[in-house]
Formats: sequence, structure tokens, C-alpha cells
Amino acid sequence: MAITFKQVDFTYQPGTPFETKALTDINVTIPTGSYTALIGHTGSGKSTLLQHLNALLKPTKGTVTIGKRVITPETSNKDLKRLRQHVGIVFQFPESQLFEETVAKDIAFGPQNFGKSEAEAMQIAEQMLALVGLDRALLTRSPFDLSGGQMRRVAIAGVLAMQPDVLVLDEPTAGLDPQGRLEMMEMFARLRHERDLTVVLVTHQMDDVANYADNVIVMDRGQVVKTGTPREIFKDPQWLVKHQLGLPKTTAFAHELQAAGWQFKQLPLTEDELAEEIAAQLPPQAFGGDPAK
Amino acid sequence: MSPIIDVEHLNYRYPQQAADQLTLTDISFSVAPGEWVAVVGHNGSGKSTLAKNLNGLLAPESGTITVAGQVLSAETVWDVRRQIGMVFQNPDNQFVGATVEDDVAFSLENQGIPRDEMLTRVAQALKQVNMQDFATREPARLSGGQKQRVALAGMIAARPRILILDEATSMLDPQGRAEVLQTIRAMKANSELTVLSITHDIDEAASANRILVINDGHLEEAGTPAEIFAHGEALINLGLDMPYAERLKAALKRQGVQVPTSYLTEKGMADWLWQLRSNK
Repeated sequence: MAITFKQVDFTYQPGTPFETKALTDINVTIPTGSYTALIGHTGSGKSTLLQHLNALLKPTKGTVTIGKRVITPETSNKDLKRLRQHVGIVFQFPESQLFEETVAKDIAFGPQNFGKSEAEAMQIAEQMLALVGLDRALLTRSPFDLSGGQMRRVAIAGVLAMQPDVLVLDEPTAGLDPQGRLEMMEMFARLRHERDLTVVLVTHQMDDVANYADNVIVMDRGQVVKTGTPREIFKDPQWLVKHQLGLPKTTAFAHELQAAGWQFKQLPLTEDELAEEIAAQLPPQAFGGDPAK
Repeated sequence: MSPIIDVEHLNYRYPQQAADQLTLTDISFSVAPGEWVAVVGHNGSGKSTLAKNLNGLLAPESGTITVAGQVLSAETVWDVRRQIGMVFQNPDNQFVGATVEDDVAFSLENQGIPRDEMLTRVAQALKQVNMQDFATREPARLSGGQKQRVALAGMIAARPRILILDEATSMLDPQGRAEVLQTIRAMKANSELTVLSITHDIDEAASANRILVINDGHLEEAGTPAEIFAHGEALINLGLDMPYAERLKAALKRQGVQVPTSYLTEKGMADWLWQLRSNK
């Protein structure tokens, strides 16, 4: 399901002393089936844009087209439920939204809200728990007795239980340790293929953008300043610095090697890409071969 | 010089836990005044529990904690807390002011600082974290990274002797993180500030004088960053990222390249690769 922004402005609390313009003239499309990374300095408007993806916020000006629905400043708040079923948002620290007595009930809450019977919803809860890699023995436990990482997986299962077409993730790995981060990012990549999802990832981790995304939207001060593939975005380090963004570790190191005289066929984004390019330029003895041969 | 933080045989158990299940087991260490100590470990290893014991938010089952010469107890807890500034991972849990500047001023008001001085300190602190334009905004309406900056500004203004950071830069972008680390270095240069930072970030850990590794509630290891980073691929089991040069080394090994076993910095890696290539 594609989402298209046309000339979107958004202002928080208009007409009050707290009035703040958060988005200005946004024109951008998130294509169906893409893994789109949304990056930008803190306060650049990423989270505001994100809340337009399922009409939690409506534009102050312009239109947001979500699948077939067109959201305008005049759109009524009624009848948005269907839409929200299609676009699931996992907010920052989603574990703080858990509230039910048991893990099963918490995951089943969404589907029941969208009209499934209790039995159906419980069945979905069981499937979703397996999907996020948790043991079914946890179904009857209180979500508040779980570890932080487990709680987060339960919250994500609750969003998946609505069977969305688009999964929106707002810094989903913040606060997890490196091992937990890796497992969670691999889980999203797997879910994307298994459930045929469009994924939108808000992140500060440029390595995650390089490793997982195929489309990147860069924001600065409430505007979209660039869109493209990760390789297009990361080819110009000066431009990124100007917008207070970093490079994936590999790309930064590759730029240093280039400055020292190395040449690469294409700009490497991941360790394996860089290692392959380097290996192709090394003499046989680097692999333990005999230099005489 | 006597340590500013001294922990002896600390055991901690959450009330709902069984008698043989400790969250912290026999933790002993001390921190010298002005030292920067990073605490690393997996999620759930007990790092945050340790931080909360240090300022009396949690009370140990047994063991002694001495902060700036005072043994922590129900009688001394308020004095001890005056010495310690804490910044948590999710600052939503610690905002009290209606505006950013009110929030930063809160602890100064509590300490009875004169109004003129308070205004100067608040403005300075917000400037240091690059949030001066947000002074009259509501903390709740800031982004995650902006909130972390405001929480840190509160500590800069309060000028504690000890700063405890509990994953306080986790929501910042790389540049914001570098700026915050720079701010802390500047605070340390201006006063004898002791820093204890709980982190998974390799750059933050590298800024420390010493790293403590907590695993499953035990203090498993303590050493300088260079000593700890020499663990290479095993670092991920300690709850830290691998330094980039180690990750590239692993990828080169997968390509069949014979790599050195000793720890290489990025500069060392670049030099070694160049030599290898020229060596035809």
C-alpha cells in the first residue's frame, strides 16, 4: 500500500502561544513493498511525518493519500479505524503501551477492537507471539513480568495482530543492547518477506539504513531535503554533515581508504561489500597463497 | 585520594524475587574523584539496578555504598542525592516543569539558589546542549533526542559532583551524541566531575577512563577501554558493539584473507590493508 504526501504543511497548536510549524511543503511517496528509512536530525519532523501515515495527525494544508483514502485538513476523525488497521505504528518504547492482565489478552485487544471474536483474536495472538519469536508459554503471563526486550516484542505482536499492510517503526531498537538490536532488525526483515509488508523505519542508525533499507527520505527542519537509494544518499559525506547526519561505518571507512588511494567499483555500504572489494585488490599471499606462483 | 564512590559486597533483590534470585550479586568497586567510568552489559544484566542503588532509589539487601565519604542509609540518602545527578534513558519519567526552562530550574529552586544566579545558570545550561531556542516550550512536546538534551541541561545547571547517565544518549543521532559527550568533557574540564555512564555505545565507552562489565548481576571484569575492546567478537556478548575495525576484520576473514589476531584501531586497519596491497 503506497502512501503519498502532496504539498503537506503541519502546524502544532495553531493560534496558541505554543504554535510551531513542524512540516513544510512535503511532497513524497512511500512505494508499495518498499523498506523506506526516514532519517534526519532530532527535531527535524520525522515523528510528525510518521503520525500522518495513519492519520493520527491530519495535514494543516495539503493531502496525504494512504492506499485509496485521501486525508485532507477537513477529513472527519470518524471512520479512520479501517485505515489504522492497514497502517500499524510501533512507537518509541512501545512496551509502555502494554496494559492487559496477560500477554494473550494484550495482543488480542487490537483484533477484537476491529471486530474479531474473542476466540479468533486469541488464536491470532498465539500466531503473532510465535511470529515475533517468543515462546507460547508466555501467553498466560503478565506482560509486566517480562524483560524489556520481551515486552517490546509483545507490543510489536499487538501491532502485527491487526494484520497491517504497512508497518511503521519509530526507532524500534532504542535502548536494546547490540545483540537485541540485531535480532530485532533481522526479525523486521523476516516479517517484511513473510507478511509482504511495506516497512517505514525512523532511525538514527545509519548502519541499519545501509543494511536493510532500499529507499531513504532525508528530513531537515520540517522539509524533505533528499530522497533516493542508500547508495545515492551516502555518496556525499559533506552534504550529510551539513544536514547533521552521519555515514554508515563502512561507508565512512571506505571514504577514508579512497582518500588514501584505494578505488572501489561502487561505494560500499556494508562490511561484506567492502571486504569483497578489498579482497579483489589483494595479492595471493594475503590469502596465504605462495607469492612465487 | 579516597574514592568518591565506594561499593562493598552489594547484593540486591527485587521484592518479588525468590530468596536465591539476586539481581546484583556481591558487587564491589570504587570510583576516584574526577574519573569517568562506563558500565556495560546486556539488557537485564543489572546495570540500571546498580545505578538506582547508588543514589538510594533502591535499597540493597546487604553491602555498603559510600558516596563522598557518607555511608548511604535512610538518614543520609538526601545528602547523598544532592551529590548525584541522574539522567535516565527515557526523560519523560523525570520531567516536572511546565516549560523547558522551568524544568531545568527545578533542582536549583530546590537548592535555594538566588533567582539571578538561577536565570544565568539555566540559560547557560540550555545553550550548552543547544536547546536555548526551546526555553519556553513544553518538555512533553519535544522529540526524544531533544528531551534527552533538556534532561542533561538540568544536570549541567545543578552542578552535581557525580553524574550518572543511564543510557542517556540512546535517542540521539550520531552528531547529537558526539555533542553531548563533548559537553560532558567540558563539564569535567571545568570542575572535578565524576561520571558513571551506563551505555551500549562503543564511542561513549571509549570516552571513559575505565569500563566495568556487568553480566547477570556480577561484576565480571574491569579494565581500560583498550583492554576491554581487545575481546573483539566476544564484545557483543558483553552488551557492547564490536569496534568497526573488528567487524571489517571478520568480513575479510569470510573472504579468505588472513587477518592478524591482535586488536587494530581503524587507523591501524587502514595502514595494514595498504601494506598488504602494496606487498605484491
